[in-house]
This record gives sequence, C-alpha cells and structure tokens, in this order.
Amino acid sequence: MRSLQREPGVLLALLAVIALVGAFIVYPQLRVIATPGTGYVDFITGGTWIRSTSQSIQVMLLSTTSAVLLGFVFAYGMVYTNMPWKRFFRVIGILPLLSPPFVVAAAYVILFGPRGLISYNVFGQSPNIFGLGGIWGVQTIAFFPFAYQLIADVLSRSDARLEQAARNLGAGPWQVFRTVTLPLSRPGLGAAILTTAIYVLEDFGNPALIGGTFTVLPTQAYGLISGFGDLPGATAVSTLLLALALILYVAKIRLDGGRSFVTVSGRASSMPRPPVPVALTWTCFAACLALSIVILTVYGSLLVSALTLNFPTILTPTLQHFQYITTGTNGTALQNTLVFGLVAAAFSAVFALVAGWLVERGSWRGRRALDFLLIMPAAIPGLFFGIGYATAFNEPWLDWLDRGVLIIISMIFWNIPVGYQAAVAGLRQIDRTMDEAATSLGASSLRGFRDILVPMLGGSLRVGFVTTFVRAVTTLSVVIFLFTPSSTVATIRIFQLVNDLNFGRATAFTVADIGMAMAALGVFAILARGRVALGAARA
Amino acid sequence: MRDAPSTATAAVHLRLDHVTKKFGDTAAVDDVSFDVPRGSFATLLGPSGCGKTTTLRMIAGFYDPDAGDIVLGGRRINELPAHRRGTAMVFQDYALFPHMTVRGNVSYGLRLAKVPAAERDRRVNETLDFVGLGKLGDRWPNQLSGGQQQRVAVARALILRPEVLLLDEPLSNLDAKLRVQLRYELRALQQQLKMTFVYVTHDQDEALSLSDWIAVMNQGKVEQHGAPWEIYYRPRTAFLADFVGAVNLVPATVRDVRDGNAVVSFGARTLTVPVPPGASMRTGDEVNLCVRPEALGLAARGASTDGAALPGKVARKAFLGDLMRYWITVDGREWLVDQPDPGATMPYEDEVLIHVRPERVHVITS
Repeated sequence: MRSLQREPGVLLALLAVIALVGAFIVYPQLRVIATPGTGYVDFITGGTWIRSTSQSIQVMLLSTTSAVLLGFVFAYGMVYTNMPWKRFFRVIGILPLLSPPFVVAAAYVILFGPRGLISYNVFGQSPNIFGLGGIWGVQTIAFFPFAYQLIADVLSRSDARLEQAARNLGAGPWQVFRTVTLPLSRPGLGAAILTTAIYVLEDFGNPALIGGTFTVLPTQAYGLISGFGDLPGATAVSTLLLALALILYVAKIRLDGGRSFVTVSGRASSMPRPPVPVALTWTCFAACLALSIVILTVYGSLLVSALTLNFPTILTPTLQHFQYITTGTNGTALQNTLVFGLVAAAFSAVFALVAGWLVERGSWRGRRALDFLLIMPAAIPGLFFGIGYATAFNEPWLDWLDRGVLIIISMIFWNIPVGYQAAVAGLRQIDRTMDEAATSLGASSLRGFRDILVPMLGGSLRVGFVTTFVRAVTTLSVVIFLFTPSSTVATIRIFQLVNDLNFGRATAFTVADIGMAMAALGVFAILARGRVALGAARA
Repeated sequence: MRDAPSTATAAVHLRLDHVTKKFGDTAAVDDVSFDVPRGSFATLLGPSGCGKTTTLRMIAGFYDPDAGDIVLGGRRINELPAHRRGTAMVFQDYALFPHMTVRGNVSYGLRLAKVPAAERDRRVNETLDFVGLGKLGDRWPNQLSGGQQQRVAVARALILRPEVLLLDEPLSNLDAKLRVQLRYELRALQQQLKMTFVYVTHDQDEALSLSDWIAVMNQGKVEQHGAPWEIYYRPRTAFLADFVGAVNLVPATVRDVRDGNAVVSFGARTLTVPVPPGASMRTGDEVNLCVRPEALGLAARGASTDGAALPGKVARKAFLGDLMRYWITVDGREWLVDQPDPGATMPYEDEVLIHVRPERVHVITS
C-alpha cells in the first residue's frame, strides 16, 4: 500500500483497471442476474428449466466422456509414443481449434443429413439426425481436440526424469504410467476433464443447429429471446447456466489453482521419455489416424462444399459462394470479423498485460479479488456474456455507441483470462530481481515495467493477442445478441446460412473464417520462430 | 594475545537504528542497529534465513522496515522510494537485462538519469575498461561467462557512482577458483574507489578476506560486529565461534580470577588463560574455551613442550592439501587440530600430545 502512495502512476493504472473490470465484467453479469427479479419465482415454479437442465447435464456427461477418451488416446500417443506422422497429427489437432466449433454440425448435416453424402448418396437413407445422438456425436468430434490439447499439456508436464527413475527401479511401462505418471497428473487431468465439460455445457451452436426439439440451457435461453422476447425468462435460464458452469469452474480451480488454459505451448521436453511397447505405439497410431480421417472428412467436406454448386448433389466447381461472401453486406461481415478481432486482440493483450503486472507484482490489498475477476470470464458462458452486454448497455443514453464498438469491448473482456494468464505466467518466469535491478538503477516501477518487463514479455503478449483473435473470430454465442445488420460478423452469417440450409454460402464463410484464424496463427508461428500455437475457441 | 589491527572510527556513512522487519509473526530482522563507516567494506555475514538479505533489501528500499530508522549520509531514507535512494545493487544472479547488450545494461542507469549521450558513452567506456570488459560492450548477456556477467553487474551499478554499493552474495554462483579471484578484484576495486560497500554473504572466508567490518547475524539479530580479526579470534558467543571457522569449544569452569588471568578447569585439567577485554568472570562461572585448530600444536608422545600438553589419540585425519586436519580424542572429547605444511613431517598416528598455548585460548563467557 505504501509503495502505491509513493508512485501515483501505478495507482492511476490500478484504478483504471478496476474501473474497466467493474464496468465490463462485473456490471453486465450483475444486470443479467438481477433482471428476472421476482420473475425467478415464476421461472422456478414454471418448471420449463427442469427438462433443459437435465438434458444439458445428460449431453454434457456423454460428450465430455467420449471427447476426453478420444482426446486422451490422441494425447498419450503424441506425448508417450514415438509413432510416425506426429507432425501431421499435431496439425490435425490444431485445426479444430481454429474454427467455430459449430461448423462440425454443418458438416454433419452435409454428410449425414436427409440428403447427406454418406447417408443418402452412399446408403440411400434419409435419417432424422436431429436430437441427442446427433449432438453427442458432433460435440465429441468438435471438442475432443480441446481435450487432447489440455491432456497433452498435462502429460507433457509430467517429469520424464521420474519416469526414467521408475523404469530404472524395475517398473514396466504400464506400471510407470499407473504408479507414477497418473497419480502425479491426476489433478491436471481432472482439471482438463472439467474444462472440457465447461466447453460442452456452454456450447450453443451445435445444439442450436442439430438439436431439433432436444433443448439444452443455451438454446433455451436463445429461443426465449428470439422466439418470445422473454428477457426475464432468458436471463433466468442464463443465470442457471452460469451457476452450473461456475460449479465446474470452482472445482477445476481447486484442482489446478486456476492456472491452466488452452493457449500456447512451445514446450519441448529436454529428456526423452522411456519407450513404450511397440504394440501400444501402433494402437495409438491407428487411433490417431482414424480420428484424423474423421477430422479431415469434416473439414474437407466443408471445403468441397464451399467450392461446388450444391454439394453433394451438384458437384460443379464454382467460386460463386466466395463471390457472394465478399460482396455487399457479406463483405462487410468479413471485414468486421477481421477488424473486430484485430482491435479486440490488441486491446485485450495490452490490457491483460498491465492487469497481470499490477496483480502479480503488486502488494496491495484486494489483489486476489481482482485476480479472480480477471480469470472469471473463462467460466462465463459466451451466451451469458452476450446477454449481459445486451442487457447492460442497451440503454437509450448509450445510443450513440456503435454496436461494433460494443462487440469489440465484449470480445476484449470475454477473452481477458487468456492474455491475463499468459501475462501472469510470463511474469512468474521473470525473477523479481529484474524489477529490483531496474529500481536500484533509478527506474520507477512503471518505467521498469516499460523498459525491462514488457520487452521480456513479448511471448505472453503474442499468446494473448493470437489466442484472443482466434477466439474472437470464431465465437458465435457472445455476439449473437449484440450484432446489427451493419455490425454482423462471419460466425453469425454462417449460423444464419446453415439455418437457411444454404450450405454452399455457409461453408464459404467458414473457410474464410478459418483462413483468418490460420493466417493469424501463421504470423504468430513466424514471430515465435516456428513454435506452435494452440488457440482455444468456443461457440 | 596480540592486539587486533585498530578499527579507526571514521565518519558514519550508513546507520541502522533499531530496525525491525516482520513477515507475518516472525521477525526476519529484529531490532538491528549498527554504523557503517564511510569508505569501508562492510559485510553482513550469517547462515541462510538470518536476516542479512532482508537487512540489505531494506537499505535498498525493496522492503519497508516496520520499526526503526535507516540513515544514509546523515539523511533518514525510510520514506525515500527505492529508485531515488542512490543505492545501486549487485544481485546474486546478476539480473542482467537479457534484451540489452552489455553496453545497454551498463548505460541504463545513466539513461534514466538523463545523462547526455556524449558523457554517457564516455562513462560507459571508462567503466567497462575499469572492470576489464572494454571489448565486450556489444555482446549480449547470454554470450558471457559467469565471471564476465558478474563484472557487468558490478559495472552497471558502479557507473552511477552510488552513495553505497549493495552486493547480495555476488560471487555465490561462480565456481570456487573464480570466486576467490573475483573476491580480490572486488576488494581492490573498493579500495581504489574508496566507496562504501555493503556486502551480504554466508561464506565466512569471503567475509574475513574482504571486509573492513563484519556484522554476524543470527535469527534476525546482530550477534557481534567489528573487524574480521575480532570476529574470528574474540567471538562473543558459541554460535559465532562455531559459525566463523572451525573451532574447538570446550565447556569449562572458572576456578579463580586474578590479574587479568583466569584459572579454568575442564575434566581433570587446569589451564590459566587471559580474560578477554571487557569480559567479566567470577569464580564458579561456566564458560566455553574457544581454540582455533590452527592455534594448537601436535607432538609425538614423550616430546617436551612448553605450555600445556594434552595426551590424546588420533581418531581420524583428513589431508586438505595446505594442511592436515586431525580429530584427536582427549578424555573422551574430540579436538580438532590443524597441522600446517603436512608435507614437512610424517603424519601423526595413535598417541600424540596436543600442545595448547594459553594465550591462544579465548574464553566465551555467554
């Protein structure tokens, strides 16, 4: 506290951060929670929430289990075996993180729908694909790459030296895994499972596209607003969704201290891991290959659909879908996607860096509360966040505010945890004597931050920027209540076009959207000298 | 006993006055007071966790004392922000800025002080030459050896001509030989500049060989301060005697005190030893006799010696190159005896006599 009084610049920065967090993270949430008011009584007695809640939990359990199992096999193969084609599998594992998760649902319709390539063209069937089974299958494919990244991160952090030591003491490969690796990485694995569960629970796009009458909490909230204009009901459902997500998130924090997030890892183990049996290696290889074929089929069908007249019925090659998405309001949507993403990513990364510095290097009271608020958006379902902004800032006195600006602000603060945690992790790797050295040479702490820490935190800044950009251009749920015709973005257009069953145009948008994310990642990889980035996107 | 070299009381440059620092309920630094004379090489010595680094960091301004005053050059600096204190510091791990060259690191403080470019360049060159790094200005820190990094860290701090230079275990990350070499370089540097150095270390050899003045700390308190000579030969407590150098500590009882001498007995033996200046002793007091191993002599059984001779038996011995260290059992108690120039004689075996010169025995009364 005394050090703050001595440095008014730091105090000002802190007050600014607190004010922004209060206005754009705390306030919108409180508005959502408060909106139903006495409506909570009707909502609870009305009982419509029981069905969607139980269905949400049901699909969460199913999809999380299958996604985690597949993700584990993939991760184990990548971390522990020396199977061939690892570079290929690594690329395959990243691809889904660069796309809006709900495009898997679009591919699913293209492949297995009533006129689907596999269901109709190959098997001559027109099945009803909507409902629980469809959601389960689609979410498994959409989220297993996330589970893979999280689990691979945990496994690669397990100490190879301990495993070598166990082998040296006479344990076999399986015994090492069971008695050393697993017990040590259990909290991390638990946290990875819970994080995957949150992704699944909050998924809006997939259930919205192929849920049919199978309603989950996010689709119920959306339906109440878009179908009935029932804001109190929708906010009550959203609050329930937030409560469930927070329960999972608090459990996750208890396991791993809240310090993991799918972002970027350029980690390379310095010590080789003990070899695993050949049979296990090839089993993992076969499984990874099968999963890669599924992923490639999904994204391949999207690409082919974007380049043909009416896939899979009319296979004439055409660029007309791309012409469509680059002209008129659609061109604006693409441009918005890029501009919003870039601006949000830049502000989010810089703001997160300053906030991370104030929290990690400060010694003032209330640091932990600010830390919690800065990580919290990671637990907030995108839909809830969007409704929060729509509720809090849909006021007459804010009419002058451009909706595009509002979308950018929502993207900045919804993604704060990414850059913030990257900044904190980066700062923790810089010894405090660096700051002190600058201070003892005559630099104020703000000056030391600028001259010494910021240049050393380039990696954290890049992580925050790229991951935020990827998440911003792939999110649907945050923006679905905020867009206007002039401030629409690619994900919104994809969602609308799939709903209109206009797959050619929808997939062209998808390809463009993924292209932007891949370009961002490519630039990052060049800046980070070839190290790989993993962006976590959510619908 | 010979007289210690005089410690002339020069003008006080740095004063700590009843300084206390608590972390939670434990006092890391507990009511510490001392004066550091201007232009002296002052060392805070102690085991890890004794509060020496905390004390240094309070002088630097990285911690605020909970009580007491820190006075630098006659001015109380408790409230002065760390970056305005003029107490440049050399860190244990050097804390060189990895994104700046050697030149960038060394000139950083001058840039902050807005020293004009021309003068800055001149001073950087001068300082780099001074520490023997004249040709390495354009290197990056990770291209330097440990010893070179250490010199950059010193140069970066020295160039600001600080009021005092603070050094936090600056040699502990270097290998043994380099550590000894740089020790003498640092000492020479300090004497050339006549600058006040405050140096923290846990290495007693380093403290003894570098310092004009040493404060030995233990559990947050200064146990004793003074010239290295005093610390080594006249420790006031058993902890000090044991911490600084190898020592024989023998519990004994005072039988008589007379004419500045005391008759003490341990086991069945009696010895007449000088009473240390300033110490008070009475008949019946329980004291510790403190004898350095190198102050004892060894002889074969039957040889004649002046002074007291203790018959003992060699239990173990270790060849340390410049000396042979013996563990010798006398009346069931082990004594350490160092024999210089072990190559000159055959090693002693079995039955020996330990030769004790009473004037080399220091009595610890507390």
